[in-house]
Amino acid sequence: MDLRETLRIAVRSIRAHNLRSALTVLGVVVGIGSVIVFATFGASVQAAVVSEIGQTSANSIFLTPASVEDGGEGGPPGAGIADATRPVFTGRDVTALGEIDGVETVVPQGTVRLSGVSHAGDTVAQRQAIGTTPAAFGTDDIVDGRAFESGAEEVVVNEAARTAFEQNLSVDDTVTLTLADGDRRNATVVGVADGTRGGLLSQFGPGGPQLYLPSEPFYQTSVEGTTDGVRVKAYPQVTVVADPSQTGTVAGAVRAYVPSSDAATLLPAEQTVGVQTTGEIVGQIQEILGQLTRFVTGIAVLSLVVGAIGIANITLVSVTERTREIGIMKAVGAQNRDVMQLFLTESALLGTGGALLGIPVGLVVAFGATRFAEVGFTLALDWMAFAVVVGIAVGVGAGLYPAWRAARVDPIEALRQE
Amino acid sequence: MSQSTGSHAETQPASPAVTVSNVTKQYQLGGTVTALDGVSLSLPEGSYTAVMGPSGSGKSTLLNLIGGLDTPDTGQVSVGGTRLDDADGATRADVRGTDIGFVFQTFDLLPRLTALQNVALPLTFADWGRADRRDRAATLLDEVGLGDRLDHRPPELSGGQRQRVAIARALAADPSIVLADEPTGNVDTETGGEVLSLLDDLHEAGNTVLLVTHARRVAERAQQIVHVRDGVIEGVERLADDAPELSTTDDTTPVGGDD
Repeated sequence: MDLRETLRIAVRSIRAHNLRSALTVLGVVVGIGSVIVFATFGASVQAAVVSEIGQTSANSIFLTPASVEDGGEGGPPGAGIADATRPVFTGRDVTALGEIDGVETVVPQGTVRLSGVSHAGDTVAQRQAIGTTPAAFGTDDIVDGRAFESGAEEVVVNEAARTAFEQNLSVDDTVTLTLADGDRRNATVVGVADGTRGGLLSQFGPGGPQLYLPSEPFYQTSVEGTTDGVRVKAYPQVTVVADPSQTGTVAGAVRAYVPSSDAATLLPAEQTVGVQTTGEIVGQIQEILGQLTRFVTGIAVLSLVVGAIGIANITLVSVTERTREIGIMKAVGAQNRDVMQLFLTESALLGTGGALLGIPVGLVVAFGATRFAEVGFTLALDWMAFAVVVGIAVGVGAGLYPAWRAARVDPIEALRQE
Repeated sequence: MSQSTGSHAETQPASPAVTVSNVTKQYQLGGTVTALDGVSLSLPEGSYTAVMGPSGSGKSTLLNLIGGLDTPDTGQVSVGGTRLDDADGATRADVRGTDIGFVFQTFDLLPRLTALQNVALPLTFADWGRADRRDRAATLLDEVGLGDRLDHRPPELSGGQRQRVAIARALAADPSIVLADEPTGNVDTETGGEVLSLLDDLHEAGNTVLLVTHARRVAERAQQIVHVRDGVIEGVERLADDAPELSTTDDTTPVGGDD
């Protein structure tokens, strides 16, 4: 029998039991909806994180101490944070890296320990500031004022830090830094950076208040050097900013340099120097978030299974209720496949209806979630297609057994039934 | 009344519309029950035959075999030239759709379809085009006097009207035989009379009709009555002068009614 007539009859039987059909569809809506919610939310978070990193440091190569198990790269960034904060990159390393072809600038970076920061009589607890060089700031990074100058008693704050005090900081204000050892130093605010700047460790999570100080004179962490037992200044992180067109070659050259670096010598045997480009980090983050999304979405698929059971259940009930009708249809010439087609169409319609309704419901909830989490909204188109396909598949799959039962109904028995 | 009209007249002596030869059928119901035991019967085209017998006589089994709903254990069944006894399910479904028209005691219309859609249902399964189906169904409903009820659903129709829809449905594919199973069993006497008149009309229009009933009053509308009891044909009772000779397994003298 032709598909249009099948559809017409199937729709009619579905509508004969409006509430029952609606509840069955609701089961699928919940299933498909949760898949869409988690998939879309996951994709949105992923896109937000990746674009943030990509924007701030598209052509950067990060060097940090890393565990040997990580192979010096790979592994999630930030793993072994204790290792990664070990100061090992000496001034010689910074200079040597800067001499590699295609390197635009090398930004060493370390942590300046503080106990608090005061401005106009108001003190906030700030445990650390980042000690780095003026090169850490690209032209787009400073939204107000300018970068600090090396050797000057100047500070750049981010927007979160700017509003951390009772009176908002503005350029040319003076803040008093209380260092971890109790020393007090004054610094002039010369610039405001957007977001949270600087290196591998500070890029994740919501941007808290952050201060950036010139490493000279503020950053004084030193280690015993490689040669004559003299203590030299060392940084836990170095960011190599490459010419965008040469990031790959520069990364190769950096990796080649690493074994002969002071950092490699200074690190204990179980540690090595990790070299990661932005692309690699983005890839890893994408992979982690992707796995997480797939995992959570997989759980949502469970509710889809429940929806499928609902369809199977209601179709079985329908077959039982309509046994006599099946007998009539067979008596007037319906083939087994016609009967099967009718019931499969019915269950497929329930599944498809659930998918089509579940998508907007899921998108609305996902949109709300992205607003709540303050990330941009990114459509997970592949998951939406997946949801429709799964909805139909769930309908057909759940209807298979009931439809097969319907097709096998013996017309004589069926017609004898009241 | 004349035996048949139109094209059916030219096929005299016709190849029979239905041939049943030496058919047996047993059921396992706690023990072996022989429903039919070597029954032979042939219905000429255009004939109007009633099968009478008490319940358990085997008349329903005979109807199911001729209707292609069941297959015999032994023996042959042909309807409209197609062998049904050794046919597979798909072939029998085809034959049910195109060569057999069922009229059931309880009407058995699909409650959610309109009269028109119910009548068109066999044509739907026989893959007729939508417009053709509708035309054919509308014509038939008009013929049974329901031309103004095309879009009514069975619950909106009276018992007699429903049975007329069922008869129109039975005729949809222009079958070789119309099988009516106690068609008056569920309607009042007056309506029953209407339904029987309709069957008379079908016969006069040249259709082959087989009526199964336990009521003599109903059976008497046919040209002849085949009496079935305990799985065998007890006798054939010729009622009309023009009743065709039926070849049956019965070799006894025709008997009177037992109802």
